[in-house]
Amino acid sequence: MQFIRDYLRNPAAAIGLLLLAAVLALAATAGLLFPDDPLGLAGRPLQWPFANAAFWLGTDHSGRDIAAQIFHGARVSLVIGFVATLIAILIGIVVGALSGYYGGVVDDVLMRITEAFQILPNFLLLLVLVAVFGSELNTIIVAIGVVSWPPAARLTRAEFLSLRNREFVQAGRTLGLGDLRLIFGEILPNALPPVVVYASVIMAVAILLESALAFLNLSDPNVPSWGNLIGGGRSVLRDQWYVSAIPGVAILLTVLAVSLVGQGLNDALNPRLRNR
Amino acid sequence: MRLLTLAGRRLLAALPALLIILAGLFLLLQLAPGDTVDALVAQVGGGDPTMIEELRRHYALDQSTSARLADYLWRLVHLDLGHSAIYGKPVIDVIVERLPATLLLMGSALSFAFAAGMVLGILAARRVNRWPDTLISTLGLVFYATPSFWFGLMGMFFFAVYLGWLPAGGFGTIGGGLQGWALFVDTLRHLVLPTLTLALIFLAIYLRIMRASMLEVSTLDFVRTARAKGLAEGAVVVRHVLRNALLPMVTLIGLQAGTMLGGSVVVESVFALPGLGRLAYESVMQRDLNTLLGVVFVSALLVIFINFVVDLLYAKLDPRISGEH
Amino acid sequence: MKLTRRELLLSSGALAASAFFPPFAHARAEAGAPRKGGVLNVHLASEQRILNPSLRASTGVYIVTSKIIESLVDLDADGKIVAQLATAWESSKDGKTITFKLREGVKWHDGKPFTAADVQYNALELWKKHLNFSTGLQQNLEAVDTPDAHTAVFRYSRPIPLDLLLRALADLGYVVPRHVFEGTNVLENPANTAPIGTGPYRFVQYERGQYIIAERNPDYWRKDQPYLDRIVWRIITDRSAATAALETGQVQLSAYSQLALADLDRLSKNPDFEVTAKGLEANQFNNTLEFNFRRKEIADIRVRRAIAHAINIPFFIENFLYGQGRPGTGPIPSTSTAFYPKDAKVAYPFDKARAEALLDEAGYRRGAGGVRFTLKLVPIQNGEDVPLFATFIQQSLAAVGIRVEITNFDYAASLAAVYKEHNFDIATGWHQYRGDPAVSTTVWLHSGSPAGSPWTNQYGWKSEKVDTLIEDAASEIDPAKRRELYAEVVREIDEQFPIWFAIERDFYSVVSKKVHNGHNTARWPSSSWHDTWLTA
Repeated sequence: MQFIRDYLRNPAAAIGLLLLAAVLALAATAGLLFPDDPLGLAGRPLQWPFANAAFWLGTDHSGRDIAAQIFHGARVSLVIGFVATLIAILIGIVVGALSGYYGGVVDDVLMRITEAFQILPNFLLLLVLVAVFGSELNTIIVAIGVVSWPPAARLTRAEFLSLRNREFVQAGRTLGLGDLRLIFGEILPNALPPVVVYASVIMAVAILLESALAFLNLSDPNVPSWGNLIGGGRSVLRDQWYVSAIPGVAILLTVLAVSLVGQGLNDALNPRLRNR
Repeated sequence: MRLLTLAGRRLLAALPALLIILAGLFLLLQLAPGDTVDALVAQVGGGDPTMIEELRRHYALDQSTSARLADYLWRLVHLDLGHSAIYGKPVIDVIVERLPATLLLMGSALSFAFAAGMVLGILAARRVNRWPDTLISTLGLVFYATPSFWFGLMGMFFFAVYLGWLPAGGFGTIGGGLQGWALFVDTLRHLVLPTLTLALIFLAIYLRIMRASMLEVSTLDFVRTARAKGLAEGAVVVRHVLRNALLPMVTLIGLQAGTMLGGSVVVESVFALPGLGRLAYESVMQRDLNTLLGVVFVSALLVIFINFVVDLLYAKLDPRISGEH
Repeated sequence: MKLTRRELLLSSGALAASAFFPPFAHARAEAGAPRKGGVLNVHLASEQRILNPSLRASTGVYIVTSKIIESLVDLDADGKIVAQLATAWESSKDGKTITFKLREGVKWHDGKPFTAADVQYNALELWKKHLNFSTGLQQNLEAVDTPDAHTAVFRYSRPIPLDLLLRALADLGYVVPRHVFEGTNVLENPANTAPIGTGPYRFVQYERGQYIIAERNPDYWRKDQPYLDRIVWRIITDRSAATAALETGQVQLSAYSQLALADLDRLSKNPDFEVTAKGLEANQFNNTLEFNFRRKEIADIRVRRAIAHAINIPFFIENFLYGQGRPGTGPIPSTSTAFYPKDAKVAYPFDKARAEALLDEAGYRRGAGGVRFTLKLVPIQNGEDVPLFATFIQQSLAAVGIRVEITNFDYAASLAAVYKEHNFDIATGWHQYRGDPAVSTTVWLHSGSPAGSPWTNQYGWKSEKVDTLIEDAASEIDPAKRRELYAEVVREIDEQFPIWFAIERDFYSVVSKKVHNGHNTARWPSSSWHDTWLTA
């Protein structure tokens, strides 16, 4: 209860939660409000918003209803964001925690692997993965997760490195707590805040990475993703800027929501800031 | 001397990772549908069987994967990166041509993002939860959420096409024969928009991390002690808070060397910059293995070097971390 | 067979006239006298691996190299053959021997004289062995004799139509210096990226990823030409960035439809620019739909016709392509006056009810969710219209109960998927028509191309009749009979429908109005620009 009160006391965090709820609402009502295929031909292409009562956000370059794509796209973007982030964070935390806690050979091996992934620019690896395995949505999500974990691992490791010699860990050790208990029970909760902040970063990057793939025409064309809409609107950027601006704003607000919530959580989780 | 040995050891330690990457990528791309001859034929709009067969022989694609991989690694041992299929000359020459643009772009974007992120982060943290903080934080989040190609294209239309203040793209005025100061200004003008575009997302990240770690550190005991000792607020910030808050910032630089190169793929293609990012993208699209692996190899050395420097800094900044770490 | 100069008769009066007069220098009245000087900046949409048009035939190579290296012949504004390095030509009665007279007093950029030995080397070593499209065209070339320094006699084992050869040589007849290439590994010759030719401009510099520069050749064989000091090709891969470069004056020309359709539409209203399809008539392209007969539904002619009936091409052209295009009527576009059949028509016009009826008749009734069956569509990436057309196909077929899943590959992968692995049900891309069906169109229809040859018949379809017609036409030297053979091919393709040439498209250029004597040949972006000039 205290935690929720702490969280909500922060107006930015509250706004973030509200925005996120709104995005979830879009995703939830998409099927209800727009039962037709959002990728189907709805009308003449490139109708401006409000120009036609049937399409209040207008139509895109392929004559598809932008509003329908925004609603259905919320699902896709949330799925891309959440799942890819989950994959990345899980890999990252495990690698980072083990590496930072044990040090030595474990650290060396894991860090070499992490380094290997970091040496490869993530977007480049993503391109290679998509070139090799195709651009089906599931493939893209996994690929984004696979290229996004090293920062989380490095961050976790850095936290572990600076925490593992702290007094409370040493105290735990003298009490005879097991490694797992120490890692996940004692150190991880303290190491988590930057990683939580970073989770929102990864989620945002995941959504942006998909839009960059769409910009290069390498995303899955069979799902109504916001990235595809931006990518498609790119050719009419000058005159019908709304085609890419509307999903752009949708991405912006979603990423904003995720970031605000992430930051709010961080502030609320961080006991040292509680009294500020 | 000790530094050199340390660096040498680092490089040695990174060798296995490097080998895994190069071999891994090589094998991964074998799985990709289409090879460099397909890409070439795609570019020229068609070809007949004789020509295609001849080209496959030319690029040694008629040999087995293992033979080519072994050949590649063997040449790599001799520091020979091979011949570029796209450019028809040694990969190392191609990379050396492309390196300046990328280094300049990454360097300027990184410095800008780091400096501005630090300043804004400090400002925000010092006025936490008041309007400057809200403004800066929101701005950061908006920067963060903007797709960079979209920002780049919009910036280009606004500043280059409508206002005519900045060039629309390229890496310098062609055939201008500029020298000295004029060349510097010319390059600078060409770099403004790409730098901003690439730096935007990193600026947002640095800003947030800086703000967070400032807040984090300023509540720690030793800072309180410093304050209690009656040190002036400015001195506390500089001497104690900043120094510790910089730790995660510095870590991030190491982390993001690679990411930035990835980001420059998009930025370089929007602004027609002749850099490594676009080279890498083109070599993936054209299935030019030698060039791709060459770019990866060079950027790997770059990342290893940056991380080495970061670790040195880290040790300097945080006395708790000893020796090797 | 030895020919004296007097005996060297030309095959037609029109050709004779254009051969002996300066081909097109003053064909069209231009405002004012040509001005000397100036730099023409040209948009180049993709990096070129090599700059050698006698090894690589593509518009991307021509747009640069045709200013530096010249071909034996070029086209005039009406698409007729005009002299360039060859000044006259004649075919023997049996169509197996073609004699070219070559221009005298022409020098390579390195100062050596241009002679028949150069042509001989190019024809036998480059055009016949390496050059795409040309290795097929020249497969029956057995020898090139050089009775004197300015006569080249091409000897073929089978008759070759003179019109076909000449039309093809405008693109596939570029001559590079023998003394630079002979005895080297031609694919790795440094002159491939630092070209040496006889053209009005000399190569200066190729800065990878940035620009290519050529400058005026002071020793050019056309006295007092060219007019421009320099040509700079700027490599800009992003379409929007290229438009911005035009609007900020960084480039004055973008050719071969390399800009976004929406930007073309807007630039056509800009008083500083001209958007034109004139001067690019030599090449046309189609948006195609390729069928894979290995899929049993597709192998049914009723399904293929139903698919065509289901797609509203006029609507697509009007609303998606900004009106740029015409419904396709077969493999030969309507602009090809020499070969377009008089009775060509849209074989399967939009008729949704007919499409549904055909599908029902074929036994594919709507099942769960109204879906009859699912097809995998591979867009062969080329320009922005291919993904657009793929989406439209998906939308249109959904309306008649065929679910379409688009599989996005990058360019190389899509070619491999369709033409090598046959991993598609339907595919959509571009067919390019290069003035004569035998150059690059009949390979789309003739059977027997090995898997892995892009833009050939890889549909799992074969027609003995079409194969025979195509073979006959390739060696038929009577133009009227040849035309009739191709008309028969078109009818047969309409009937059997192994591939749909759905939309007929023109290439477009956007050019600043400062450029004069522009677009005055049928392949102007690929011509030598010897008479092009700029207002200050």
